[in-house]
Amino acid sequence: MRAVIIPGLVEMRIKVNPSTEVTRQGLPYIVMPWMFAPWPEAKEKGVIEIEIKGETLRELLVELSDWYKKANVDFEPINPKTREVDFDYDITVNGKNYIGLSKGLDTKLRGKKEIVIKMNWRWDG
Amino acid sequence: MVESLRKKVLSPSEQARYHRQWIIPEFGKEAQKRLKSSHVIIVGLGGLGCCSALYLTAAGVGQISMVDFDVVQRSDLNRQILYSEEDIGKKKVFIAHQKLSKLNPYIRIIPIPHRITQKNIMRIIDQAQVVIDGLDNLNTRLLVNSACVSYQIPFIYGGVSRLRGMLTTIIPGKTPCLACLFTKGGQKNRRLGVLGVIPGVIANLQSLEAIKCLIGESPSLAGKLLRFNGNDMKFQINDLKRNERCKVCSLKFSLSPNKAFKA
Repeated sequence: MRAVIIPGLVEMRIKVNPSTEVTRQGLPYIVMPWMFAPWPEAKEKGVIEIEIKGETLRELLVELSDWYKKANVDFEPINPKTREVDFDYDITVNGKNYIGLSKGLDTKLRGKKEIVIKMNWRWDG
Repeated sequence: MVESLRKKVLSPSEQARYHRQWIIPEFGKEAQKRLKSSHVIIVGLGGLGCCSALYLTAAGVGQISMVDFDVVQRSDLNRQILYSEEDIGKKKVFIAHQKLSKLNPYIRIIPIPHRITQKNIMRIIDQAQVVIDGLDNLNTRLLVNSACVSYQIPFIYGGVSRLRGMLTTIIPGKTPCLACLFTKGGQKNRRLGVLGVIPGVIANLQSLEAIKCLIGESPSLAGKLLRFNGNDMKFQINDLKRNERCKVCSLKFSLSPNKAFKA
């Protein structure tokens, strides 16, 4: 599948197999710039296009984690060993938390899907 | 002893007390005097706040105000190291005041047993040189952040859960503020649990950042987010950028154009 990644203000948006050109329309700023790390050329363009071998949410997240690992950036929304989502992150598919999806991480990403990965900050003291 | 606070000299007892600090070349006697004439406010006396209060008291910060409305509960005792079994049910700030005064009688400790609100926050922090975050929720942090931006007071954010923690030093006008990242209700406050030593790790780093601010050194985490993962003992530091549409700091401080993407 083709995934187009748009680093947002504090989250990462991924559009799967988009039928139209993806731009940064409405997302002018990025507060966490390290999200760009593995794709320095994306700093110019603002969006990142990659080809993912698998077709499920889990496969997308595992591959994404691999990309960041190669760039020595600690961005692992999914634990590569357990292949489960790290609690540091919230992940939604078309606005719905993946936990609420009938197949969870094994949901196939067909059609116009938008995945949002958001890093959770810590609020306990 | 409070009299000695007014003087910017260190008594023989204080000199002996802080000797191990001022022999550090990059710290020295002058830095110790600066600490003595400083005022820090710690908002929240939970796991983070207790630890910050303890080390800043020992370090010799001249005036420490502590804000917390809550009482000690048994479930606090795994991480809130100023309290004991006998303190359960008592107001945290008064217990902390009592114990910290014994640790260092050469400084002034001010307990403020109030809940932070929109109405009182400006009054509470207006004399501070640094505000240290020991809170347990986002909304109160945003209130404190906004007040710190208004007064241009450095605010040292810290947060923990489970075996992980993070911190950043907010210098109004120079670094992103909390509202650059989050608006009210932006993230849920979920109780995830916390291993007692984790707030100790983060609060000590917050205290170090506070000391650097107070003695005129550049804080190392200004505009940077430090994330600590105790599961695999990993520290990660990443840059944070200001949000030019931030409703709190972009209105007060005009921003120079950066590499924002044209929408």
